[in-house]
Amino acid sequence: MTDTLASTPPASSGAHGSGGESPGFLKDAREEQRRMVEEYYSGLAQAEKEKRPVAYMLVGGNLTEIVRSFGYEVVFPEIVALNCAIKHKSLEYILQAEAQGYGLDVCGYVKNDLGLQSLGGDTPFGHIPKPDLLVCSFSGCYVYIKWWEALAETLGAPLFNFDVPYQRTDAPQKEDIDYMVAQLWEFVHLLEKKTGRAFDMAELKRVLARSRRAEEAWVKYLEAGKYRPSPIEAYFEAVFYMFPINVLRGTEEAVRFYDTVNQEVEVRRKEGNYPVPEEKVRLVVEGVPPYTNYRTFWDFFRKWGAVSVAATYPKVGGLFDRGFLHDPARPFESIAEYSLGAYVNQSWPIRRELIKKYVKDYQADAVLIHGIKSCRSFTAGQGDLRDWLIHETGTPTLYLESDHQDPRYFAPAQIKNRMDAFFESLEQRRSTAASSPVVAR
Amino acid sequence: MKLAAGIDIGSTTAKCVILKDSQVVASSLNPVGVNIVRDAEEALRKALAEASIDRSEVGFVTGTGYGRYKISFGQLTVTEISCHARGAHLLFPGTRLVIDIGGQDTKAIRVSERGEVVDFAMNDKCAAGTGRFLDVCAGALGFDVAEIGPLSLQARHPVKVSSTCTVFAESEVTSHVSRGKDPKDILAGLHTSIANRSLSLLQRVGIEPEVTFTGGVSRNEGMVRSLSARLGLPVNVSPLSQYMGAIGAALMGEERLKGGAAQ
Repeated sequence: MTDTLASTPPASSGAHGSGGESPGFLKDAREEQRRMVEEYYSGLAQAEKEKRPVAYMLVGGNLTEIVRSFGYEVVFPEIVALNCAIKHKSLEYILQAEAQGYGLDVCGYVKNDLGLQSLGGDTPFGHIPKPDLLVCSFSGCYVYIKWWEALAETLGAPLFNFDVPYQRTDAPQKEDIDYMVAQLWEFVHLLEKKTGRAFDMAELKRVLARSRRAEEAWVKYLEAGKYRPSPIEAYFEAVFYMFPINVLRGTEEAVRFYDTVNQEVEVRRKEGNYPVPEEKVRLVVEGVPPYTNYRTFWDFFRKWGAVSVAATYPKVGGLFDRGFLHDPARPFESIAEYSLGAYVNQSWPIRRELIKKYVKDYQADAVLIHGIKSCRSFTAGQGDLRDWLIHETGTPTLYLESDHQDPRYFAPAQIKNRMDAFFESLEQRRSTAASSPVVAR
Repeated sequence: MKLAAGIDIGSTTAKCVILKDSQVVASSLNPVGVNIVRDAEEALRKALAEASIDRSEVGFVTGTGYGRYKISFGQLTVTEISCHARGAHLLFPGTRLVIDIGGQDTKAIRVSERGEVVDFAMNDKCAAGTGRFLDVCAGALGFDVAEIGPLSLQARHPVKVSSTCTVFAESEVTSHVSRGKDPKDILAGLHTSIANRSLSLLQRVGIEPEVTFTGGVSRNEGMVRSLSARLGLPVNVSPLSQYMGAIGAALMGEERLKGGAAQ
């Protein structure tokens, strides 16, 4: 057998967070990121040795600038968990949590973290210190609140729970911003009390100025997907470059990193060295990736010459491309707007309109949705989104399901078969000049 | 022009069809074992033998179904979703919706007026509502799967059978038997249960006539009747419905031959 309906042979896979040749990635940025990740995890272990305070926080709408300004090291258990999944360690921690009584349907991030904690916190990439403070910075997911409560109970750390109002309007309402700002002041006073340090607004403004520069550079990178062919892979590659914008935001290092990324993207464009050599299908991707099978999943795209030109998941930390940038002139207000504007904190009408806009602005041919069993706050509604995109906007859309953390839910044969059929149908419809689009009903 | 062969390696059977000028001139059906390459070769050999066709007359072989990547002697692989759409469109050109119920998959495929896939939905992670479901339940009642369709049509008071799980359905059948229910009524309930589950998939892609029923389960008359009743629409079936994937595959090969891809 020498051919499938797609004639482009699979390119060799880019690694994600591990070694090996990776033509899919930007070389300098990849090396820089590898160094930063290693330093981050060794820094966490060092903080524990030196008894420096450690805070745990969630990625969505996180408050890293404020927490760091009080001298805390910040752990993002979601990021630790996804790194465990990439390293094929997540199932071990998930099974440990299940042995403690957490059910099959509990979120994989939660079980990875609780299992890891009970096994002592040692991962293949470093030791994760125990928290001195738990900051539940996203309240849109009830499971997350319970996760943080479980950590507070088992580890004995104090918990600060932010109540982040769910967004039903394009721009955050004044009442919501005021409510968030009031909570931020309450939070700052708590940090002053816990650390004995006075809050330094001038320093926060300086940090936020750096955050903004990194955010602007990150947006520039993401918007490069508008070029044809796309010089970036806005899902698999962008997910890899999310680390600094979520974890190291506010540092000069993060600013430098995205400058490097953009310089390399520019070189890619000049040299015509695109992530998918022969771009055939431009996709908008919605949903969390299956970290346990990242390369396998990516290869299913490459085989068809499919490139992600825009994606929602790289914006879980913040919808910077919608203008929710930190602003040193309005420090707390802009932090509040940023937190309220986290992607999963948006109502479904906002999310679907955003995806529709991405399809138009990035000249995408289709939408691919990857739902995960673990996460109802991200995934519930994706079936309706699929139907809406097909029937109301005429956009070919495929819905797939597995999990981001639990490898037991990734069925490669089924996923590949659905993807092959979907790309076949796109190719067939394209090959007939007078092809009929999906009929709106 | 040379002939085109389509080989569909499913979870239960290997089907082969030989096309000449878009007409089926030979076909074969084999059970699938662990040696898929051998099963595929055997399917092709049997089909050729049936019509006394020499292998050299076949200019293009297309593989489809879950075992398609193992058909090492072919020139093209295509998913069974595209193939069932094309096959159904060839036999019933008015087809806009295909329901394919095979051994472990149920697929709802909406097709364009040219037989292209517009949208599709499949059962996920569960074989309830598939041919396997009927196999298991027929076994629990002591029938051969070929008998149960006609028997189900003789039901007088169909019982309700849930469709959540193939394994649990078997114990549900046993429970009905132990309560003295007529096996024909149980069989009718089983067929309705599959029709209900299929309807859910069909609704996801949008129900639009004409509906064509393909796959091994389409040979079951009781299932055709249940599905048609549940849809409120007539359902196209053909003696070749089980071969629809192989027909679509062969048709794509034939198009390649016309385009100069002869071997």
